[in-house]
Amino acid sequence: MDLTGGPFWFLMGVVFVVVAVGFHAFARDRGWVVTWWKALLAVIWYGILCTSFFAWGTLIGENEAAAGFKLFLIGIFVSIVFGVALVRLMAHSTR
Amino acid sequence: MSEKKTAVSRRGFLKIAGLTGAGFQAGALIGAGVAAGKDSESYTGWESFNPGTQFFDRGPFEFDGPAHLPVGPVRRPSHTTDFVFGRVATFERACKENPDWTLEDPIEDLGLVPDLVEFYKRFPERLEWDYRTISETVPTSREDRKKYENYYKLAEIYSNGFTAHGMHLPKPHDPPEVSDFQMGAGSHTEPIGEAVPFKSPELAAEFIKELAHRYGATLVGITRTNPNWLYTDGWRGCPRDHDFSPLPEHWEFAIVIGVPMEWDVILSSPQFSTSYDAYDRVSTVAVRLEGALKYAGYPARAHTPMTGYDLIVPPHAVEAGLGEVGRTGFCITPEVGGNCRMAIVTTSLPLATDRPIDFGVAEFCAKCKLCADSCPSGAMSKADSPDGMEIRGYEHWYVNNGACYNYWRESMGPMGCRQCVAVCPYSRKDNWLHDVARKIDPRDPTGVASSSLLWMQKNLFPYPDAAEYRRPPTGRFASFREPPDFLVAERYLAVEIVRPKEG
Repeated sequence: MDLTGGPFWFLMGVVFVVVAVGFHAFARDRGWVVTWWKALLAVIWYGILCTSFFAWGTLIGENEAAAGFKLFLIGIFVSIVFGVALVRLMAHSTR
Repeated sequence: MSEKKTAVSRRGFLKIAGLTGAGFQAGALIGAGVAAGKDSESYTGWESFNPGTQFFDRGPFEFDGPAHLPVGPVRRPSHTTDFVFGRVATFERACKENPDWTLEDPIEDLGLVPDLVEFYKRFPERLEWDYRTISETVPTSREDRKKYENYYKLAEIYSNGFTAHGMHLPKPHDPPEVSDFQMGAGSHTEPIGEAVPFKSPELAAEFIKELAHRYGATLVGITRTNPNWLYTDGWRGCPRDHDFSPLPEHWEFAIVIGVPMEWDVILSSPQFSTSYDAYDRVSTVAVRLEGALKYAGYPARAHTPMTGYDLIVPPHAVEAGLGEVGRTGFCITPEVGGNCRMAIVTTSLPLATDRPIDFGVAEFCAKCKLCADSCPSGAMSKADSPDGMEIRGYEHWYVNNGACYNYWRESMGPMGCRQCVAVCPYSRKDNWLHDVARKIDPRDPTGVASSSLLWMQKNLFPYPDAAEYRRPPTGRFASFREPPDFLVAERYLAVEIVRPKEG
């Protein structure tokens, strides 16, 4: 499959739906009340995480693997900090 | 009878599916990233012949101009003095005729033309560098090339293919008033015909730009030719006593075109890269455009790296809206940064001109300094601002072209350096990662974006020390990045190869 073409991104969209459904089940298990803006924050968080992986790969493709890994680590650090804050926010109001 | 419980609940299944999906997506995105990084579509301009290569939306960054305002007495450039290749060649000839001459002797003893004597008195550091080039660097380079030649052989072979073609491009053999009005070449020349009228200068410009892209130009812009940027001497096809003072009337418009050097090769600067791929291609485009204009009945002259220039390009490129002049002295464009070789076609065809752009290069260059820090000969200013620096009457970062040329002669491979092109953060391919930077940085008035990007550039990417690019024992003839596979001599050649770092 062409990893830069439309079908690939369509597949990524399908997988994202699966991830979103999984998150919804996870949130219900925890008793989180996921309002629209909390869901938006979760999507942004997931976007940052995905972008970190994508950026890492792009720099590997440009023969800048070391720089890519450092950029990935920065992305992961941001994701962890943001993720912890997001979990605390989600857990703040439970059913 | 109670219903048998399944091992995994529906909600548990969804959670596992979501987690698996996220893991799959992470892996797929790394793979997609690698594909995007390698994608040939990201090699802006490289062997593409369509207008899509000029993808940056210049509109929001245009201003009325001119981009160049004199800060002192304006002086036109000279082939004898400012043009480093001509200057050093003249100086070298004089030194050969006067082998006992040293730097301690009066410069007048060399019998140079008065202009060059005056130039060297005004810029004594250029004299010192030019002398060092011919007395020290050229002889040591000859020895280095004997020793290491095979290691760079494929880069030289690659480069010379372009040179061989470029050398066959037609050059003007008569003054502009004659040759620019003739079509054909050699004994098959004929006067250009009656001019085909265009409906408007705007439509003429649109057509010419379309042609330029289809002929292979990555970038094209149009401005009026500025007489201050014509050489004072040595126009092609002109006798020495030609009157070089007036701007030929039919050079009213300057069509500026640019193409990048091959991306993987330029990153292996200084030793493995070449300028001749882009020299040849941009010259070919310009010659094609000259031919088309003449066929349409308009006088035209191509000013190109392979056939010679009668004017200087970077300031015209800036006025034509292709980019801004940076610390390096060349035009930095939004699409390909400094990785751009340019040519001009002068003509009298009435054309709508473009406006210059300001997309933040001046501010970025003031704080970046990667080019100056990486320059093997220290030719570029590391000052925080170009205030007080000028070149021929216009504000301009100081660049010592004598020092620059010295390293040209020291470097291995196809000769030349291009290190400042390779390290410039603007010289990047066209993929999503760099396009994010391209879009955000010019639109951020706070400078936070450029500072963040610069921090990442300096801290995530390795930069060899400038001295490592020098010859052993000072350096190790380093390259900014490893050469692409097709230039690795060990892979293809059955010859003895000595790597510089192995001594």
